Amino acid sequence: MADQADFERDAMQYAPQLYSAALRMTRNPADAEDVVQETFLKAYRAYDSYTAGTNLKAWLYRILTNTYINKYRKQQRRPSEVELGELQDLYLYKRLGEASGATQSAEADMLDTFVDTDIIEALEDLPETFRLPVLLADVDGFSYKEIAEMLDIPIGTVMSRLHRGRKALQKRLWDVAQEHGITGDGP
Amino acid sequence: MSGCDHAIEYVYQYLDEEASFFTRSRISVHLRRCPPCMDAFEFESRLKDVIRERGKSDPPPELFDTLRALIQEERESTESGI
Repeated sequence: MADQADFERDAMQYAPQLYSAALRMTRNPADAEDVVQETFLKAYRAYDSYTAGTNLKAWLYRILTNTYINKYRKQQRRPSEVELGELQDLYLYKRLGEASGATQSAEADMLDTFVDTDIIEALEDLPETFRLPVLLADVDGFSYKEIAEMLDIPIGTVMSRLHRGRKALQKRLWDVAQEHGITGDGP
Repeated sequence: MSGCDHAIEYVYQYLDEEASFFTRSRISVHLRRCPPCMDAFEFESRLKDVIRERGKSDPPPELFDTLRALIQEERESTESGI
């Protein structure tokens, strides 16, 4: 059992990550701050129920995710399965490979052309059903099991949403790469 | 299933460190023998790094103070309520 008096000392280090995650979820700084404040308040009040020594970051993220879902997703309780079409495996890698010709490992170097805002916009453009699993896995590094617990869905569902979400993200990044003028002809 | 198809099918589980011991071993052996798959895995791995490094935003500087004040207020209101 954790002591409420220690909450600030223990939890404050995660505030920046929680804020960043909330901003990717809400896509709006004011809403993100609201979600983080509510998360901290709920976490403080419930700190007695947190088992000291277990994963505090995951515990806080679970509260954050629930706060976000309850606050902003009331109107669509059943997530809509957005039709993404059948995207090829290794979508971005293959497109970049075609664009760069036969040059060895040129695909990986092209990743350096993506700036922060490219990645952030691509993440925020994802349909919500896929955005949360992708954020939690790729940006915050949680395991499938932890994500399943946070979103209250089976691990198999986490994996399929993650799979489809990553493909959608890669498709979006390919659009960005084309906007940057990656056509295979070089600058 | 060929070694390449198997590797690509499990690429995310492998990189996410969620693949079973058996799957992981089979893929590791395959990657050592198959430069094209190794190249694809390195790309996916770097993409994961890029998303983690560039997908974050900094909080507003006053966030810590706001949160501390919020907890302080909550603490005082519960203490005075006793």
